[in-house]
Amino acid sequence: MKLILSHLQKFLPDLKVEPQQLRDDITMIGHFINFFEIIDNETVFDLDIKVNRGDCLGYYGIAQDLSVFYNLPLQNLVKDISINSKEVLSIQVTTDNVKRVMSVKISDLKNTTSPQWLQTFLKCHNVNSINTLVDLTNYIMFLYGIPNHAFDTTKSGDNLIWEMNSKFKEFISLDGSKLNIDKNILMINNPDKALSLSFWGGEACAIDLNTTETIIELAIYDRTTVRKNSQQLKSVTEASVRLEKDLDPELIPIAFNHLTNLILDNCGGQITSQVFDHYPMKLNSPQIEFDFQKPSLVSGIEIPTSFSIDVFTRLKCLIKDNIITPPSIRKDITIEADLVEEVVRFWGYQKIPIDQPISFKEVGDITPVEIYLIDQLKDQLINLGYDEVLTWPLVSTATDPKTVITTQNSINTEVIYLRQSLIPSLKQQLDQYSRFKLNATQFFEIGKIFFQKGDDYIEKNALAIFCDDSNKLKQDLDKLNLKADIIDQNFTEIIIDNLPKIKNYTPKVLNQPAYELTSQIIILDANITLDHQEDPINLIKKYSQIIGPEILWEMIITDVYHDSKNNKYRYTFRVSYFNTDDKTAKETHLQAFDLK
Amino acid sequence: MDQNLDQIKTNYLTKINLVVTDSELEKFRIEIFGRNGLINDLFSKIKDIAPENKKQYGADLNQLKTELEQALNNKSVTKTSKITSEKNTNSIFTLPKIGHLHPVTQTERQLNEVFKKLGFSVYNSPEIVTDEFNFTRLNVPTNHPARDMQDSIYIKEPEYLLRTQTSAIEAYLLAQKNKDLPLRAAFPGSTFRNEKVNRSNHFVFHQYQAVVVDKNITMKDLIGTMDLMFKTLYGPEVVVRYRCKYYPEVEPGVGPDMQCFNCHGKGCPLCKYAGWIEMGGSGMIHPKVLEAAGIDSKIWSGFAFGMGLDRWTMAQKNIKDIRTLMGGNLAYKPNEL
Repeated sequence: MKLILSHLQKFLPDLKVEPQQLRDDITMIGHFINFFEIIDNETVFDLDIKVNRGDCLGYYGIAQDLSVFYNLPLQNLVKDISINSKEVLSIQVTTDNVKRVMSVKISDLKNTTSPQWLQTFLKCHNVNSINTLVDLTNYIMFLYGIPNHAFDTTKSGDNLIWEMNSKFKEFISLDGSKLNIDKNILMINNPDKALSLSFWGGEACAIDLNTTETIIELAIYDRTTVRKNSQQLKSVTEASVRLEKDLDPELIPIAFNHLTNLILDNCGGQITSQVFDHYPMKLNSPQIEFDFQKPSLVSGIEIPTSFSIDVFTRLKCLIKDNIITPPSIRKDITIEADLVEEVVRFWGYQKIPIDQPISFKEVGDITPVEIYLIDQLKDQLINLGYDEVLTWPLVSTATDPKTVITTQNSINTEVIYLRQSLIPSLKQQLDQYSRFKLNATQFFEIGKIFFQKGDDYIEKNALAIFCDDSNKLKQDLDKLNLKADIIDQNFTEIIIDNLPKIKNYTPKVLNQPAYELTSQIIILDANITLDHQEDPINLIKKYSQIIGPEILWEMIITDVYHDSKNNKYRYTFRVSYFNTDDKTAKETHLQAFDLK
Repeated sequence: MDQNLDQIKTNYLTKINLVVTDSELEKFRIEIFGRNGLINDLFSKIKDIAPENKKQYGADLNQLKTELEQALNNKSVTKTSKITSEKNTNSIFTLPKIGHLHPVTQTERQLNEVFKKLGFSVYNSPEIVTDEFNFTRLNVPTNHPARDMQDSIYIKEPEYLLRTQTSAIEAYLLAQKNKDLPLRAAFPGSTFRNEKVNRSNHFVFHQYQAVVVDKNITMKDLIGTMDLMFKTLYGPEVVVRYRCKYYPEVEPGVGPDMQCFNCHGKGCPLCKYAGWIEMGGSGMIHPKVLEAAGIDSKIWSGFAFGMGLDRWTMAQKNIKDIRTLMGGNLAYKPNEL
């Protein structure tokens, strides 16, 4: 969502924070801001509003959060409207999916192109300016997060009906799109025409520059219905995005009055009906028992009770002893943990130390045995020179059509089956290697394979190996104490879960942990001369211990020379160092072989 | 070759190979070819061989003689002999030619090591899950966008799907072990979303999650543990901030952001000019999640965090295309990535 600083400051006139700081502060309290930019001299932020904070899809909700954070007063921008008309709007609401709707008729107005400030506002929100009346409805939607609509009554008439569609087959939207509609669609109609969806206005009653009379409406609906309608019609609008959230019906009168005043101020005219307000079921905010120690206990740092009370007061919660009633706009606060989060986020997550990880505690190993086995197998295969690969679990061909599991909605229509064997995927992998002209390959994969048996879905851990030398493959399987379930040319597959006595299974190759080479190898030679013959193995042991395993990768005696004339023995060492830099390796080497 | 002769040949070839002095070599030459040496001794036993085997025995014996002669002649300790540490099979420095673990496995193991040192087990659970374990038990509301057909790959809609998050393993774990508290577990796993495969998206990806349930667990424990993990993977200089973030399964929620390694916080296309990169989600386990598993949230609390393992691996190893990780060209020598 876009947020223009100057319009935010209308709600928070005392907000004097540099944009950079404001960006970081808003992010830290829960609304991630990617960046801000300057558009037509306006500073515009780009916010990521999470799904639980429908209230923050409008400036008003963000301003409320910031008024708590900065402890600033929240400005009321709305004055009451005065109504002299006795006319009662002939509106009907025939569905429970309307949570609240407010409406009024304004006549004798003069619609024009929008004033510059309004055009700029919409431009910053990536919305095209249409005309003043339409633009003001959008402005109020962005300001309060409450979608609304204006009907041209010369086209729609006054007899508006909120209903689940019963008789219309087609709806034409404001942009001219023709949508097929059925009985599942929540509509605003008149007896003869399909006028509007809950989240998208219709062409049949569109406001234009000739409009002189309008009925405006602000409404909140059952959000699941709006969501399903939006999905069914494959249409997402700024209104549908908001109406799918848990919005506050109590906010409608504020936004309604603001919109009405703006229309009268900018388009002239007069109110020519009573306000229609359909609000069948008012929901009370929950009363939450709150332990004032909880913010400290949960955060792990001391947060004074007075701060919690301060936050709840600024949030406009009702506080009675330890019972907290959040304001109706905060639909996301329903339990004590939600209140704890409010306190901690305004106290500041950054005040929690980052250098105190949870300490070690022996709580019992619940690692399944097959995880140890898989790790062991991977190590052994690495030691035997195999590379590990991972391939797609969804494949294009069923190995056994009778037991294959088929996905219902894979967007990748080429691959709709869950694999029943790893071998076909490894064959594709081999093709990849061939494409890159890599010879003498040997690789393996350990992953799940899937089957259906009746109504049951079965998963098994499997190991598949490819080796371009089939004799080596046989030898390696023997070394690993494995018997192949499937052999296909140079490929083999073993169902790990079927291995006998899995809890006691131990591969034959032991004590050779796999090393992954991540740093450079530094190779240095050294000669030592002795006046007696020495077992080379003892020499390797001796110098290996001097250098130490942390940086010693390999030590080889490449040459032994017997100088029979002087009866001396010269041993040439080649030492490979790793996990270190050139300088340290050289110093260690000179010291170890006493070459300084 | 006769089995006995073959054994003799192997023994002597090994011994000759280990010779490092001229005198030792001469000693073997006499031992094998001297008047009372091995070869003469073996020839003298021909008379004891059954007539039908004599011809083959003689041929084998000649072959043995030739091979040992060659071995002695080729062995010249005054020239070059090569003895490597590999001959000592008990040495801790014995490192045969090795293959490579997949980059994701490498990152996974790095993380496992961090958590094992803190007393965590490693866990896993089925990849085909019910809606209950993937969503309901994790406090994902009925109308949450995550449940959409567009986001999940269904086996049998709406009940069975491929897990969309490793939190499904958390739900499974809590249900299985709700009587074995306290518990600590980390779980790397494959997860699935209905995404077109391209450079940055894949329908299958890997997540890593860790969960603690105990008494008196705090956000300080969570944030300290995550920071340890970041520093282990990215080094002590890494800058991470922890902010408020919403996830249905946690409350309070915590979002770790790592300062962009490309621009160091100044803003660049990689971090979408934020200066920070979102690295996952975490928080204190939501009381409803604990209660759904039959765990009394008034007694027990805990933390959970999860992250995209592929993204971490790609950042760590500078891999630019996620398709490389799954069925791509995995001739991944570190310098070729």
